[in-house]
Amino acid sequence: MTATPTQQANTFNPSPEAGSAVDIVRVRKDFGAAVGVADVSLTIAKGEFVTLLGPSGCGKSTLLGMIAGFVTPTAGRIVVDGADITGLEPYRRDIGMVFQSYALFPHMNVRDNIAFGLKMRKLPAAQVEQEVARAIAMMKLDGFENRRVRQLSGGQQQRVALARAIVIRPKVLLLDEPLSALDKNLRAQMQVELSELHRKTGLTTIFVTHDQGEALSLSDRIVVMNKGSVQQVATPIELYRQPANGFVASFIGEINALPPGRCEVKDGIASLVLPGAGPLVFPAMPAAGFAPGRQVRAFLRPEHVRPAAPGEAGPNIVTGKVDAHIYQGSHTITRVVVEGIGLVETRVTGSDIVAGAPVGAPLALAFDLGEAVLLDASE
Amino acid sequence: MLAKRPFFITFLAPAVLTAVILAAAIFEVLQYSVREFIPGSLNVGGFTLANFAALNKPIYWWVLADTFFISLLTAIFSLLASYPVAYALVRAKRDWVRSALVSLSITPLFTGEIVRTFSWMLTLGTDGFINSILRKLGLIDMPIQLMYTRFGVVVALVQFSMPVMIILLATAIAHVDRDCEKAAANLGASPTAVFWRITLPLTVPGILSGIVVVFAWTMSAFSTPQLIGGGKILMISNLAYLQGFSVLNLPFAATLSLIALVCALGSLALMKGVTSRIERRLAVH
Amino acid sequence: MRSFAFWSLVVALLTYMTLPTIVVLMTSVNPTEILAFPPQGVSFDWYAKAVSYPDFQLAFKNGLIVTACASTLALIVGSAFAWLIHHYEFRGRGLLEGVLWSPLIIPHFTLGFGFLLLGGAFRLQQGYVMIVLAHMVLVMPFVTRAVHVSLANIDPALARAAANLGASPWQVLTRITLPLVVPGMAGGWLIAAVLSLTEFTASLYVTGSRTQTLPVAMYNYIREYADPTVSAISALLIIATTLIMLVADRTIGLRRVLAIDTH
Repeated sequence: MTATPTQQANTFNPSPEAGSAVDIVRVRKDFGAAVGVADVSLTIAKGEFVTLLGPSGCGKSTLLGMIAGFVTPTAGRIVVDGADITGLEPYRRDIGMVFQSYALFPHMNVRDNIAFGLKMRKLPAAQVEQEVARAIAMMKLDGFENRRVRQLSGGQQQRVALARAIVIRPKVLLLDEPLSALDKNLRAQMQVELSELHRKTGLTTIFVTHDQGEALSLSDRIVVMNKGSVQQVATPIELYRQPANGFVASFIGEINALPPGRCEVKDGIASLVLPGAGPLVFPAMPAAGFAPGRQVRAFLRPEHVRPAAPGEAGPNIVTGKVDAHIYQGSHTITRVVVEGIGLVETRVTGSDIVAGAPVGAPLALAFDLGEAVLLDASE
Repeated sequence: MLAKRPFFITFLAPAVLTAVILAAAIFEVLQYSVREFIPGSLNVGGFTLANFAALNKPIYWWVLADTFFISLLTAIFSLLASYPVAYALVRAKRDWVRSALVSLSITPLFTGEIVRTFSWMLTLGTDGFINSILRKLGLIDMPIQLMYTRFGVVVALVQFSMPVMIILLATAIAHVDRDCEKAAANLGASPTAVFWRITLPLTVPGILSGIVVVFAWTMSAFSTPQLIGGGKILMISNLAYLQGFSVLNLPFAATLSLIALVCALGSLALMKGVTSRIERRLAVH
Repeated sequence: MRSFAFWSLVVALLTYMTLPTIVVLMTSVNPTEILAFPPQGVSFDWYAKAVSYPDFQLAFKNGLIVTACASTLALIVGSAFAWLIHHYEFRGRGLLEGVLWSPLIIPHFTLGFGFLLLGGAFRLQQGYVMIVLAHMVLVMPFVTRAVHVSLANIDPALARAAANLGASPWQVLTRITLPLVVPGMAGGWLIAAVLSLTEFTASLYVTGSRTQTLPVAMYNYIREYADPTVSAISALLIIATTLIMLVADRTIGLRRVLAIDTH
């Protein structure tokens, strides 16, 4: 597990912090010889919206299952509101959950689905009715109370699942890829609604997804996972701008990985010396990851590589051959093969570049090295 | 602590009790088959293998051979008669045709063997339906003998086994990927060629399981050979009943019942082996 | 032309399948004693005779008692067993399953003989206990299968969602699982009841003259007499079972319970 020192305060705290909603302490899950989740520690503050993000099989759903109580951890503790719930049965946990398939009870109507959790808590009928009405109003389900769940659209089913989970006033709300079953337009709309719901209820929310777009737009913090362990815990902006390692860098958005090079400082000017190409010069002294003599890899987003203007010269301009244009409507990704560096992608607004530099033609690129992320080359 | 397995014992206990009772019943058959027969008494003597040795007589070999022969004929004719019905049942274009075909082919399964056997007696008898019709049409003068013949027994057994065969074949046919048939047609295969070269080979696993299930099922048929065979056609079941209830030789009846059980288990075990090998070769599913 | 030939073949085969049933129905309303074709008119005398025949009355009553007890016991034990094998892996599960599925394979006369001998060992021969046990064992695989199919069709997330909302295992069972498998249980119970009501071979071994079920009484009648009384009983049984199966199919989708998937 890799994390910058500032994040370790969040990730590696073994004692539950006062006021935190969820403390996951060195939780581990083995499936036979295979590791499902490897020693994950995480503290989530009250009211926070945290996303577990990673490719399928990264352990995010297993971790969520352990919080809900459906998966028993091999080791570690899970603390919610200061109480250790590691060995508690799922039905005693007071944790709301929205399932990927929604898991609406097909033999009940909308109202009975939403009331189910309250009835299990043996609340008086009048109170059940009142709470259900509130949840129905909040999720804009008025008029659908007596519908069978099979008669609802995907978006409506989603709202019933949310209403059912929040009506029990859970200590934590778990969302297991709840948007994956929806089509693209509806998904965008539900993202907005989820965001509003979180603002209105202030519920501590743990959201699991493999979609980085959802994660970046919804979360206070994102936990990137891979192969069972946490790669980085950070805010969306930090995550995009300061990925902690190569996995995070390439998992979030597009990025160019330059070949390993050596850091040098000469006459107060910092530069990166690439063995196969010339030195690249930093406009200012880089803050993170730079140390004279250190072997590093620079990662550079396509929007920080641009075609050089005609006649433009300077230290960070390299020339390669156009390999392909990928026209995307609002912008074009152009792939250029640069000797000594390899494949470099540049992102240009509009489509002018397609006509200006045909495939096979030479193209000069300017690197905005000030935006580069430097990571240790040995990693 | 987490209650790891709620209801485990509660739900397991009745199932185990039932299994024990069933096993005890089969064990009794096994036990009697190795006991000495005391003529004129329902009590049995000490342990012996004489009952199995007694099997080695031409008459018993003939009964066993006849049982196999009738079962095999039934399985083959059942397959030939069921395939077109199953195919129509799956591929009919109209919904109501499919529903009607399902109902027509499945309901005989639930009327019970005695009703179905009696129905065939009425149909095949000397004054039965077939002979009456044939005589009315002037095709025959004297009634033809259908009852108490191997032919009559097989005709009835094939009809009995068709519902099961149709279910198994229909499932297999429904699993055939229609795109494979379209691809073959697109490559120039006529509808007949599509059927013989694509559809039929893809349903071979269903055909095999149908044959073996019907074969095993027919081997244990009792009422049809008992009533339509009328003692002239003896299958192993009838011999066992005869030994048990007429000769009152319970140990030998137990031995024959055990042989029938072994044959049924054996043919199903054979099917498992053959079908899995063929499925692997075809790589269907 | 090819299509016409094919459908003619299908119709011919279906005629072969249904011919005996039609013959029985025809003879049951035939007024004459001799089984003659075509029928000489329509009469319900044989039905009156069949219904008033004491042996059939007793056998029908016996059959109902046995069927009600056996199929209900099979429903309870079979459903619990289906739930068990759907949810748990345990040592000896394969053996237990093998034994409980085996009545599908074991010849009925072997099984009937076994229960006869077992009854003799416990001085229970020809008594209701042994008949009910034999029938229960024979029909239980069908209930187990029907319930197991229904359980397999339930989204496993439903039970988790209920637990997540605070339902204890007992509440999950009674409020989520049970309502969703009721159709499967009803279908399984109906199939079990029909199979038990019409079971003959094993019953021939385990019943006595006072406890014989309807098919056994019919068999004994056929061996003695050759008049259409049995046709009338058969016709009644055919109509009853066909109606039950049609109702079962309409209300709970028998095809799914029997796993006949055509599309």
